[in-house]
Amino acid sequence: MNIKRTLLTGLAIGLVVFAAGSLFAQKGKMIQIKGSDTLVNLVQILAEEYMEKNPGAMLAVMGGGSGTGISGLINGTCDIADHSREWKKSEIAQAWEKGVKPRFFVIAVDGLSIIVNDKNPIQKLTLAQLGAIYRGEVTNWKAVGGPDKKISLYGRQSNSGTYVFMQEFVLGNRNYSKDMKEMNGNAQIIEGIVGDERGRGGDEGGIGYVGVGYLYDENGRIRKGLKVVPIAKDDKSPTFLPTNKAAVDSGDYPVARPLYQSTNGKPSPAVAAFIRFEMSPEGQKIVEREGFFTISPKHIADNEKNLR
Amino acid sequence: MNRTVKTAGAAALVAALAALATPLKAQQSFSTTVYFDYSFFLTDGGPNTSGDIDNKFNFRRAYFNYENRWGNLRFRFRYDADNTANITAVDFGKSSTKKDDKLRPFIKHLFLRYDNLIPDSSIMVGMTETLTFKPAENRWGFRSVAKTLMDGYKDVTGVDIRASSADLGASLTGSYTKYFRYGFMVSNGSHYSHAENDRFKKFMFQGTVVPLAGFSLVGYMDTEKRAEDKQATTLKFDANFERIKNLTVTFEWFTYDSDLNTLASGTSYDVRGWSLFGRYILKPGKFTLFVRGDQYEPNTEVGDDKINLIIAGFEWQPTDNAALKIQPNVWYYTYENPDRKNDVVAVMTFFWSF
Repeated sequence: MNIKRTLLTGLAIGLVVFAAGSLFAQKGKMIQIKGSDTLVNLVQILAEEYMEKNPGAMLAVMGGGSGTGISGLINGTCDIADHSREWKKSEIAQAWEKGVKPRFFVIAVDGLSIIVNDKNPIQKLTLAQLGAIYRGEVTNWKAVGGPDKKISLYGRQSNSGTYVFMQEFVLGNRNYSKDMKEMNGNAQIIEGIVGDERGRGGDEGGIGYVGVGYLYDENGRIRKGLKVVPIAKDDKSPTFLPTNKAAVDSGDYPVARPLYQSTNGKPSPAVAAFIRFEMSPEGQKIVEREGFFTISPKHIADNEKNLR
Repeated sequence: MNRTVKTAGAAALVAALAALATPLKAQQSFSTTVYFDYSFFLTDGGPNTSGDIDNKFNFRRAYFNYENRWGNLRFRFRYDADNTANITAVDFGKSSTKKDDKLRPFIKHLFLRYDNLIPDSSIMVGMTETLTFKPAENRWGFRSVAKTLMDGYKDVTGVDIRASSADLGASLTGSYTKYFRYGFMVSNGSHYSHAENDRFKKFMFQGTVVPLAGFSLVGYMDTEKRAEDKQATTLKFDANFERIKNLTVTFEWFTYDSDLNTLASGTSYDVRGWSLFGRYILKPGKFTLFVRGDQYEPNTEVGDDKINLIIAGFEWQPTDNAALKIQPNVWYYTYENPDRKNDVVAVMTFFWSF
C-alpha cells in the first residue's frame, strides 16, 4: 500500500509540476481569441504579424462562429470574442447573469457580397428582392429579371454571425427558406456556386452570401467563375458593389456590417496592446490586404474610449 | 390536473407532428464526450460504493450526441453509457439471462426543442433535460469530476431521491428581461431509466432573479404524487456570485421530503444537504482551479449519519481546443458516524470531447 501511495503521490506531484511549468514557462500572456468564421483568417494573420513584431506575445485564434466566441467570453474560456454581428438580447442577459461586462471594438468593416455563378446574366437585385429570394418567396430567376432557371440558395449555419446578419437586415427577421443549403463556411458557399478550380460542379442557378474578403484570388482578382451582384436599396436607388469602399463607408451599399471584437470589461494591457495593433495603420493595412474595409475615424475614437 | 396533463400531451403531439412535417436540413452534428478516470483510495475504507476495490480505471460516462437544427427547431439524440446500469443481458445460446457491468448505451436525451414561439423562450418535448440540477451544474462546470450535491449522493447513500437529470415530458424555459428567468416542466417522474409506472406526473418549477450583474438567486420546487395519499416534494435554492472576473462561487441547499421515506416506526424523514463550491479560471482555455465542500444528511430522523465531502483539484487543457482536459482531483470524506474512518480518494480524470 505504501509503495502504491508513494507512486501515486509522485505521479500527482509530477503532473502538477508539469502543468504549472507549462503554465508559467510562457513569458507573455497567452491570449485566447475565439469566434466568427468570417474574422478567423483575418485575425489569425493579424495575430501572426503581431507575434512576429512582439516576441513573447502569444495568441491563439479559433473559429466556430460568432455565437461560440460570445459564449466563450461569457463562460471565461477566451479573452477576446470575434463576432460579425451585434450581441443578441439573450447573450446580453447571460452576460449580466455571469457578471460579464462586454466592451466592443470594431476592427474591420465587411461588405457582405451577394454572389452568383458568372454564367448567370442577372444585372442587379434590390434588397427586397434579395429578402424574397432567401425567404423562398421567389424561386425562379425569371421573377427578378434573370433567366428561366430555378434559384438554389446557399447560406451559412445558424451559429454564424453572417447568417444572423442576413436574417435581420435582409430577411426582415423572418425565416430562411427551408431549401437553403446551410454551408460550413464562406469557402464552401463559393465552391458550391462556382465548382472546383476548373469550374466543374458549379451551380448556374446558385446564389450565396460571403464576406468581401473571400471574393478575391491570390492575385487580388475576383475569383474565376464568380460574379458579384450589384445591390440597390430599392427600385429607385442606384446599385452599388460591396467592393466599393466609399459606398460601404457612406452606407450606400446596403449589405455592409462592422466586424467586432469584445472583451470582458476593460482589456488587460496585453489584450489592449493587440487591439491597438489591429486599429493601427499597420493593422488596417492588413485588414485592407485581406479584402475587408478599414475602420472609420469614429470607430477608432469609440475603440479608444473602450480601451480606457 | 388531468386537464393540464392532457393539454401538455396535445401540445407535445402537435409539436411532434410539426417536426415530422419538417424536412431535416444539413445542420447536423455528431459528437462524443467521455469521462475516464483512475481513482485510488488512499485510505483503507472508502465510501459505501467502493467495496474492497482500492483503485480502478473507470469510464464514468460516455456520451454520443447527434443534433440537428433547422431554424428555431432543434433535435437531440444522446446515447449515454455507464457501467453502473447492471442491465440484464440475454445469452441466447444458453437460453439464460445474467447480470454484468458492461459499459452499455442507453438513451439519455431524445427531444425536440422549439425556440422563441414565446419570445426568449424554449419549449422542449420528449426525453429532455430536467430543471433540477442544471443551474448548479452550469456553475460547477465539472460534471466530469463529480455530479452536483443532490444528483451525486443518491449513488453513495442508496437513499431514494426521485431526482434525475432527464425525464420524459415537456418543458418551457425562458427569460423576461435580463433580471428574470423561469422554467416549468411536467414529466413522468420515473426518469430516463424507467417507463411510466404510475398515473401521477411530476411538476417542476424554477425561477431565477438576477438583481445585480454577476449575482443571481435560483429557487426550485418539484412535487409529485407517489400514491393516492403520498407526496414527494423537493425544494432547492442556489445563490451564485460571479462579480469578480473569472471567479464563480455558488451556495446550494436542498431538502427532499417524501411520504414514502419512513423509518420502521412509520416516522417520515427528509433528505437534506448543502454545497459550497467555487472555481477560478487562472488562464482562459488553459488552467482552472476548483474546490467544493458538501454536507449531506440522508435521514433527518437518524443521528450521526451526515457525510461531509471536500473536493479540490484543477483542470488543465494541454491543447488549444477543448478536446482534452486533464482534471486531477482529491476527495476527502468525513463522517459524523464515529465508527466510520475518514476517506481520501485521489482521482485523475480525463475529459475527452471529439
